[in-house]
Amino acid sequence: LPKVIFEHEGVFIHLNTDELEDQDSLISGFLRIVDKDGEIFVEYKPLEDTVDPSNMLCACKDSSSVVEWIQRPHRPVDQQLSYETEWDMVNTVSFKRKVYSNGEGVSNHLNERTKWAFSFNVADLRSVTVKCEGWSYLVFCLRDDATLPALHFHQGGSQAFLDGLRKLVQLGESPEDENVFLVGTYYKAFSQSFENLLDDTNYGLVQVREVLMGKTPGSKLHFECCGKFKKDPYTTTLGGLSKVTNFLFDAFRQSESECQQRPAEEMVDLLGELIPGLEINQQEEPGFEVITRVDLGPRPEVHRSGPVMMEDWAKHQDLEGRVFNVSRLKHLIFKGGLCHALRKEAWKFLLGYYPWDSTHEERKNLQKRKTDEYFRMKLQWKSVSEEQEKRNSRLRDYKSLIGVCTNAHQHLTLAILVYMVYVQYCTDVGYVQGMSDLLSPILYVLEHEVDAFWCFVSFMDQMHENFEEQMQGMKAQLVQLSTLLRLLDLAFWNYLEAQDSGYLYFCFRWLLIRFKRELHFQDVLRLWEVMWTGLPCQNVHLLVCCAILDSEKQKIMDRHYGFNEILKHINELSMKLDIEEILIKSEAIYMQIRNCKDLPPSVSEILGLNTVTHSLALEPCQEYGMLESPHNSPRPQHRQDQDFSNGHGLLQDTPHNRWKTNFIS
Amino acid sequence: CTGMSRVYVMADKSTLLKVILLGDGGVGKSSLMNRYVSNKFDTHLFHTIGVEFLNKELEVDGRRVTLQIWDTAGQERFRSLRTPFYRGSDCCLLTFSVDDSQSFLNLNLWRKEFVYYADVKEPESFPFVILGNKIDVSGRQVAKEEAQRWCCENGGHPYFETSAKDATNIVEAFEEVARRVIASDDKQEPLLSTHTVELRRKSRSDPSCC
Repeated sequence: LPKVIFEHEGVFIHLNTDELEDQDSLISGFLRIVDKDGEIFVEYKPLEDTVDPSNMLCACKDSSSVVEWIQRPHRPVDQQLSYETEWDMVNTVSFKRKVYSNGEGVSNHLNERTKWAFSFNVADLRSVTVKCEGWSYLVFCLRDDATLPALHFHQGGSQAFLDGLRKLVQLGESPEDENVFLVGTYYKAFSQSFENLLDDTNYGLVQVREVLMGKTPGSKLHFECCGKFKKDPYTTTLGGLSKVTNFLFDAFRQSESECQQRPAEEMVDLLGELIPGLEINQQEEPGFEVITRVDLGPRPEVHRSGPVMMEDWAKHQDLEGRVFNVSRLKHLIFKGGLCHALRKEAWKFLLGYYPWDSTHEERKNLQKRKTDEYFRMKLQWKSVSEEQEKRNSRLRDYKSLIGVCTNAHQHLTLAILVYMVYVQYCTDVGYVQGMSDLLSPILYVLEHEVDAFWCFVSFMDQMHENFEEQMQGMKAQLVQLSTLLRLLDLAFWNYLEAQDSGYLYFCFRWLLIRFKRELHFQDVLRLWEVMWTGLPCQNVHLLVCCAILDSEKQKIMDRHYGFNEILKHINELSMKLDIEEILIKSEAIYMQIRNCKDLPPSVSEILGLNTVTHSLALEPCQEYGMLESPHNSPRPQHRQDQDFSNGHGLLQDTPHNRWKTNFIS
Repeated sequence: CTGMSRVYVMADKSTLLKVILLGDGGVGKSSLMNRYVSNKFDTHLFHTIGVEFLNKELEVDGRRVTLQIWDTAGQERFRSLRTPFYRGSDCCLLTFSVDDSQSFLNLNLWRKEFVYYADVKEPESFPFVILGNKIDVSGRQVAKEEAQRWCCENGGHPYFETSAKDATNIVEAFEEVARRVIASDDKQEPLLSTHTVELRRKSRSDPSCC
């Protein structure tokens, strides 16, 4: 069966491209890279197509000219059908729109639309032209000089597509035109080395940067075509940074219970369409089974303990400073959190900045190395920014604006510095709204520029998928949450679905910044440290979502909330949530799910319930049989804990070359 | 407002107007909304994540309406998460910051995005209102005349220079929004409305559109 390597929705063909008018007739469709028995095809298909596979036209590999498009001749019909069916499933979740053409009415005719579908073997591809017009668009030219209609990426994704293509063919900049990439010898390879990618800084890339910690495979080349960031990353970042300065105020912010009136009437027909790029309900992903009603059994009662105190922590360290019995310690943190005085130290372990089994001495050395590294980057940032400042009045403005604030608060300067260095460190992500929310608690707790920086790096390592340009990480989480909700309460999920809310958009903020804006500042600290233990299972933040929704669902259904009201209700929960209640409920839901015998595999997978490590963590009573005298058997070799703590390596172990010089033009 | 008039609003389904604030991140969309709805201003307001909306009742030219004001995240990558909420909008507030010329240049893109995703049938006659915010800030980069020219050339939209911080022109701008929507409704078809509204309308002269 054909394997889809890359897929992107929201790719458009303009029918009147010569005029830059709003009235362009647009055809919206999918772009895919598909592996068919080892041959790679690029396929474009408009939305709203019929299932009839005969509508799928393609440029046959051996055809002399694409102008004579013919129906794909070399596939058995049944294969085509199954492929089309799969494709069509995706289509069913597409958004529909009417094209406001100048009386052309193009979109109303299926035949008109389907003729824009195309498919070609990448071996036939001669060049790709990349242009920018407020958005990016690509033009494919085939080896027989046939040119396909320009594809406009109104919803981004051209870069991801090129990245995907780049893994399969060599793309080299044309000597005549920097916007044109000539396709080199075709080779099927995911083997292109990272070095190649790094060296290949053509086609107007601004920055090339290894993904944080060098963890993500095939580290992405990244640029935002029409975003401000490309033109002026520092200024943009500084603009965003004035928001980072919230953190002090944020820490003491009171919950303002603003009495907003509910919408008197629900908007009719508001979301008759589904969300482009975020359709999760109807889309049955491969391996995403339909969950039928499963008897979950009763929800067990859960108790929580008080926070881990200084003396508890000290009891878990040997004379040289190694932390032992880490799994027990984590369990204690999971059950009660940390007392505030301990956070400054303990967070460095929880976030993976300090290895649990390191000695005082080793940590001192580590910190020294990391301090050097940090200040190297900071120096570079300063030199670049000063250079820029001479030419850029806007940057000056921002700096002076921030300067006003920073004089008053030492911490604010710190926030800005840490942030700037982070941007330097990882321009792959750049500044995205919401990141400052993740920084402020860390800075607040650690009160140390260098430590805060590296802990933030670690945290972002867990979180950076949330900030990807295409928001894939967010979409995946919403799909997973949907799966869990269906298991927990199918009726509620059905209700949401009936209100056009089944895609759980209203949980977006919760997930993006891990409940940072939903809870009081002190409660955010508690929630995060509990989550950082990695207990009781992976993706625990999804269980937190389930717990909150579980408390609200009756209200939502009883009051017959519709689309708008659900969104409003959830938004207004902010600062009204009780952290202990949420944590108790999350854990109870976890136990309930774990005790379920007929658990759908998809759910086990989301929560990682199949691994052996978890059963260990779940039997605290047996595991911690020697609670009374932990000193009798120091077990500093608990290395496996690190594997399921945060799921990422330690800073100490990462290669030095991950930090690469960044050029700003 | 009296209890009577509130009942009246509840009875009239046609008076809920959906208004959407669009513009680059950081131009002050949330601040504009908060100033108008709660008459508050917070220097340290967060970037909006996702979408939010607030309702505000007002009376323009003798008509009571409820504005449902939708605030969105302006950053490019959040596009797919905000565009679904454009549909059903009665008016679009295109917002830029007068101290940020890029945010002004991007008005074109925002308008395009809105027209596209809101499924606007006649973009030429759709009510847009343009706001140049932050006139309290020094270091202005967009001249008033420049902004007015853009509004003129792009469909003759009303333009307001605002300061959410100083509460300058905020009420005026949102009232104009309501007026525009009512005017465009009136033009298209006789307002489908309750009996009460008809009576009310007869007792007043028609609002003249600007």
